Amino acid sequence: MKKILTILLTLLIALQFNNALAQSDELVNVCALGIGNATYLKDYKVKLSASSVSPPSAKFNVILNKGTMYKITVCNAEGYAGEAVVQLMENASILGTNIKTDGSFVTAIGFQCQKTGMYSINVFFKDGKEGAAVAILSYINM
Amino acid sequence: MNRNRFKIVFVVFFAGVITLAGCSGDGSKKKSGDIEIPDEIFGDDKPLMISQEAMGDIIDNISSPVEMAALLKSTGVPFSQKLLASTDRLDDLNTNFKQALNLGVYGCDLGYLNMYEKTGSVINNMTAIKSLANELRIGQFFDFNTIKRLATNNENLDSLMYISVSSFNNMDEYLRQSNRSNISSLIVTGMWIEGMYLATQVVKEAPKKDVVERIADQKLVLNDLILILKNYKADNNFNELVKDVESIKKEYEGVKITYEMGEPEAKEVDGMLIIVQNDKQHIDVSDETLARIIEAIGTVRNKIINL
Repeated sequence: MKKILTILLTLLIALQFNNALAQSDELVNVCALGIGNATYLKDYKVKLSASSVSPPSAKFNVILNKGTMYKITVCNAEGYAGEAVVQLMENASILGTNIKTDGSFVTAIGFQCQKTGMYSINVFFKDGKEGAAVAILSYINM
Repeated sequence: MNRNRFKIVFVVFFAGVITLAGCSGDGSKKKSGDIEIPDEIFGDDKPLMISQEAMGDIIDNISSPVEMAALLKSTGVPFSQKLLASTDRLDDLNTNFKQALNLGVYGCDLGYLNMYEKTGSVINNMTAIKSLANELRIGQFFDFNTIKRLATNNENLDSLMYISVSSFNNMDEYLRQSNRSNISSLIVTGMWIEGMYLATQVVKEAPKKDVVERIADQKLVLNDLILILKNYKADNNFNELVKDVESIKKEYEGVKITYEMGEPEAKEVDGMLIIVQNDKQHIDVSDETLARIIEAIGTVRNKIINL
């Protein structure tokens, strides 16, 4: 009977995982529809658990090109308390973030790139809450 | 005994139902009706010099060919069908090595066609992509019917671009997750070479400063490309490709890139924070160096499409 329960549990976890993947793809589709006058380049899916001590974060490296206006749009998944904080970074310097000094959020970050090179997109959830989100990197059609 | 047997039959049946339900939940991504062979059977069989994670990171870094196509279009240079790779040689692409490289080439051409809204010419290109993707067992990620409908009906270009680009992103993600980064690295290389080929051919006819600079600053990408390919140089084909890309890198030695640092500025416009970078990048490339780069790119690209 124990074996049967183990099999069932494993299958249920697999099903949940599969559903989570489908939901994250759905969130990407919805988020990509809202990027406005921009063309989709990449998406970054983030799901992080809660932590009150040192909030976990996800970092994605990307080469951005001189002369291009990029846009990073953030969409939070429903059913999670966490709101995604996105930082655009160059080495250890934060170039910009979607959270304002008063704690409110802007809908997207635009970046007028003047230097081709490696940048990174760092994502974590405000106050270390559990959250799931998608960040879409696009370029603005000038 | 019979009760136990019933329990087992019930569990197997229930497991089957759950598994099928799980498959249908992700139906938007996996549409192939083919029998699936575990990818591990075909996976990389040589130890990696760098980790799969680091490989993925490097592959992710390499810019999308869509950006190059957008740059070409923004300069006002007209579309040129003759620059695109022929799709007549599909039967000759009979190894995974050739298929993956040329899938990258056709993927880049698809971005170029879409960018110029040449949606009528896109069917041959998409048929080639679908065929090669199927051969590489990643055809389930290329939504041929939707892309074809959007292209032939001249529907929303943004949707067409999104589905085309995300199809390639999903293929890449799947290949890396299933331990087939060797295929992924070839697709990315094919895309990069073709993007550079389109740009260099445009520059030959019309030396637009922005395009020349974009070609020159790809010097930064070359090392990454060589790094991921060298991972598989135990394979003769990869070893040959490394030599080819290194021949391009050699011509880039004459490109000088310098920087002037500045403080970024930020302003909020319509709910979006705009960051303006005040660093400056100066690129110095002589006509002779550019000519040699154009020649080297053309040689490697033509070798790939004639494999």
